[in-house]
Amino acid sequence: MLEADVAIIGGGPGGYVCGIRSAQLGLRTVVIEADKLGGECLNYGCIPSKSLITVSKLVDKVKEAESFGLKATGVSVDFVQLQKWKSEIVSKLVGGVEGLLRGYHATVVFGMATVVSKDRLEVATSQGKEEISFKKLVIATGTRTSALPGLEFDGDLVISSKEGLELMGAPNQLVIVGGGAIGLEFASMFQKLGSRVSIIEIMDQLLPGTDPEIVRVVQRKLEARGAKVHLKSKVIHIVKKGSEAEVEVETPGGRATITADKVLVSVGRKPRTENLNLAALGVRTDPRGYVITNERMETNVPGIFAIGDVRGPPLLAHKASKEGIVAAECIAGLPSAADWKVVPDAVFCDPEVASAGLSEAKAIEGGYKVKRSRFQFAALGRALSAGEPEGFVKVVANEDGGLVLGVQIVGPEASNLISEVALAIEMGATVEDIAMTIHPHPTLPEAIMEASESAAGHPVHQLRT
Amino acid sequence: MDFKLPDLGEGITEGEVLKWLVKEGDQIKEDQPIVEVMTDKVNVQVPSPRSGKVSRILVKEGDVAKVGQTILVIDDGSGGAPLATLVAPPEKAPAKGAAEVQQAPQSSVSSVLATPATRKLARELGVDITKVHGSGPQGRVTDDDIKSASRPALKAVAIQEPRLAGGVQKEEVVPLRGLRRTISDRMVKSLRTTAQVTHVDEADVTELVLLREALKGSAEKRGVRLTYLPFIIKALVPALKEFPYVNSSLDEQAGNIVLKKYYNIGVATDTEQGLVVPVVKDVDRKDIFELAGEITKLSEKARTGQLSLDDVRGATFTITNVGAIGGLFATPIINLPEVAILGLHKIAKRPVIHDGKIEVRDTTFLSLSFDHRVMDGAYAARFTSRLIETIQDTKKLLAEVL
Repeated sequence: MLEADVAIIGGGPGGYVCGIRSAQLGLRTVVIEADKLGGECLNYGCIPSKSLITVSKLVDKVKEAESFGLKATGVSVDFVQLQKWKSEIVSKLVGGVEGLLRGYHATVVFGMATVVSKDRLEVATSQGKEEISFKKLVIATGTRTSALPGLEFDGDLVISSKEGLELMGAPNQLVIVGGGAIGLEFASMFQKLGSRVSIIEIMDQLLPGTDPEIVRVVQRKLEARGAKVHLKSKVIHIVKKGSEAEVEVETPGGRATITADKVLVSVGRKPRTENLNLAALGVRTDPRGYVITNERMETNVPGIFAIGDVRGPPLLAHKASKEGIVAAECIAGLPSAADWKVVPDAVFCDPEVASAGLSEAKAIEGGYKVKRSRFQFAALGRALSAGEPEGFVKVVANEDGGLVLGVQIVGPEASNLISEVALAIEMGATVEDIAMTIHPHPTLPEAIMEASESAAGHPVHQLRT
Repeated sequence: MDFKLPDLGEGITEGEVLKWLVKEGDQIKEDQPIVEVMTDKVNVQVPSPRSGKVSRILVKEGDVAKVGQTILVIDDGSGGAPLATLVAPPEKAPAKGAAEVQQAPQSSVSSVLATPATRKLARELGVDITKVHGSGPQGRVTDDDIKSASRPALKAVAIQEPRLAGGVQKEEVVPLRGLRRTISDRMVKSLRTTAQVTHVDEADVTELVLLREALKGSAEKRGVRLTYLPFIIKALVPALKEFPYVNSSLDEQAGNIVLKKYYNIGVATDTEQGLVVPVVKDVDRKDIFELAGEITKLSEKARTGQLSLDDVRGATFTITNVGAIGGLFATPIINLPEVAILGLHKIAKRPVIHDGKIEVRDTTFLSLSFDHRVMDGAYAARFTSRLIETIQDTKKLLAEVL
């Protein structure tokens, strides 16, 4: 039997980071992974999708670049080579994770774990059953894709994002069910690789919960490239005919049938908690099955912690990683806690969307007297010279004192721009602080400075409103 | 069910858990007092809202609980795991209830204006950052704020009890708790936030001594003991009316001085636990016998720890009387949010010049500490003179007292 101070079930961005930190702190650490280290993010999500998105953007750029004076003919995508390149990136990163865990002397056990009691678990490994005793348990099992009744995944016609990233060519007609972050990333990507895309979203806007002004920019671009966006709509049923499917959709304008050679369902995710025996252990979960913890990641059962997606939304790798660090530190007796102000997020659709802190609506709801300002990338030298003039930076600040409450960005490199804002909010910066900080010219972050100058009441490159 | 610290009265946001009257596992009845809580005003016994079994006590004696904070879990058979079992026992820093965190990801710590590094420092030093007053712009909590907030706690831990060779303690460590802590906080706050000056004067109370002797009999018939205090309180009324700034408070936030047209006099009372200040209300509308009766009742309640919140609230001016103990005069500390306090001292026979001759007469010193932000020295001196004038002139005083 393997004896551990800390057993971590799940080697994704939450679990493996928890494992590294826990081992660094001198705890005997075991990370148990049922599939591949790096979890959903490294293997089936963030990383592979960004590889494909990079290529789709390049192809698109080359086509568009004729107007910039770039002439290229015969540009095409070799999916075999593309998938190979993607897999190499993933294996390099996954190998890196394993190297780090081993380097810090954490033990990695591959197999499905079953929690037997408050201090013991069993792993079904390829070599048979392995027992592990532990003092503290960290649940980092994450979430899995949820299916829709009548739209069960068949791995061929009706697929999840995982299969979507392994396609060996762009579908001709792609129907995406669910217009959230994953749905939109696939929509933008496959559109550029040549697919005709329809998006079916049950709510009244894409990216539900995001500032509608931001979403409008993304929807406009999707539609300009020929996508059909059906809001307040749902799939009634689907009829498979050979290699095609007829998707019947109920829209506010009546029923419609869309023929598709791929139906990608991205309607959300649900916690992975089987084999954990949560009920028997007495671990409390919320009505949707997510494990409830406090800010130290402790569940109600002493000695059992939970981190990452399995704790509930927002389902984000970077949040899981930070929570992994908090759990490891608390287990080691350090006074750690999840007391960050913001969890920034990024959607890699076109143009990219990223935000940190409160949206205008949430800030008003929270009782703030809000001051808001926007700066369009169309007025920024670097955005124009990069050929990406769409979108804007929106700053939401407290009217009194100018404290930055939140920033939303839609536009080029939004995902890379948002960290400055996250730091500003964590540090308690005011719009004046950002406005007074010199941003190099010509760069995209100038848009954040310009929007902040505007919020502070002294815009330079736009007229006072 | 979760038992949350109830609203204990206007303006009270937290209280120190002085003493648990029940322990985990106890069966309790509805309305049974379960905990004694010290607020910044008085001790309150909080009754249980339900019958049931005490399943967990979440706040230690000596800890401060906020109004609305879950302090106890009662298993009342309402089914389901009690919510408070979600509060995993913190090893160092206080942990929030899990359910609470889940519902409100913007925890109160993250709503405090402080950098991540400062928040970490607070956790490391065991300081509840939500309770720290931020000295930076827009109330930003700085590293220095955290360090100074942690100092008392650090000191308590750091005290090494010096021992003699034989193992006998040379010092005894008494935790600063309950009323002592409240007094400590309030006194420091008063001295730190106001500009206090003490004005001292002398009064010839020969006639007052005679007057009291004369009225003693009728007081006894009414069943009350007549001290000098009711006379002084009555003498105060015309002086306070003529000098309204003495009977006021300063609303710093609004930048206003609030002149009060009612006269509630706090009477500082020495008890075994320490100083408490019951309030005699509307003294301008009561005669000395009524006042004497009320004072007796209030000081009895104070001594036995029975004062209600109402008994200690709403003073507009305070008197502290140390005459019975001795001393010449003192410099009392203002009882916030009031702006002045009157010290009464020993009445003694002293040689004085009276009508051009040296005579032995009863005299006493009066000390008035006042907030120089609200009034000036000349104003306070005139107020005191006006008070002494009434005290010395029994004809005037008689008109006031009855």
